[in-house]
Amino acid sequence: MSQPKKVFSRRRVCRFCTDKDVTIDYKDPKTLKNFVTERGKIIPRRIYGTCAKHQRELTEAVKRARQLALLPYMGTVQP
Amino acid sequence: MRHYETTFILRPNLGEDQFTEIIDRTTAIINGDEGSIICLDRWGIKRLAYEINKEVQGYYVYLNYAAPGKTVDEIERIFRIDDRVLRYLTVKLGDSMNAAAIEAEKQRIAEKAAAREKALSEDAENDEFDSEELEDEANQE
Repeated sequence: MSQPKKVFSRRRVCRFCTDKDVTIDYKDPKTLKNFVTERGKIIPRRIYGTCAKHQRELTEAVKRARQLALLPYMGTVQP
Repeated sequence: MRHYETTFILRPNLGEDQFTEIIDRTTAIINGDEGSIICLDRWGIKRLAYEINKEVQGYYVYLNYAAPGKTVDEIERIFRIDDRVLRYLTVKLGDSMNAAAIEAEKQRIAEKAAAREKALSEDAENDEFDSEELEDEANQE
């Protein structure tokens, strides 16, 4: 492969462990929208830098929000 | 008694009386089983992220309560039968609430509501992270 090896230098600490005191809540589509791509997919943990525990909580919250039609399964949310 | 929260979506074009009737019936089931309602919040008509039963909008209701387990079965059974309820989701928040814990929860919710109203009035924008960059990385697979 001619591509150089990509090292994800995002060794950031998990957002939820440090900055935010805001908890992950499935009823809050505005904050959840930040953790979801434009197509509606959940952003992987190695790209975002969350710790495993919070990524699990996030995934559960996003899936619940999708069931309640607060987030779409596919596509963007219309404002 | 356990601590639950239920969010349910009603058809939007029913009218206020029918909304109230469904909500009252639900609260009656809870109170009949010696449960207690901690918080009832009507979010109102919101746009759904996708169509449910050919409806594009829905009336959201949020209910936070403490009740024994069989109450939840009863509520969900009624929701399933009723055509006017589009979706429901019940989440267990904790086991074994007693009266003191219920009071504490009510206070906590009131505080959160007050804090959220304050935050809305300040209208700050805190988005320091670049969502475009993340999308590129995510699409590189």
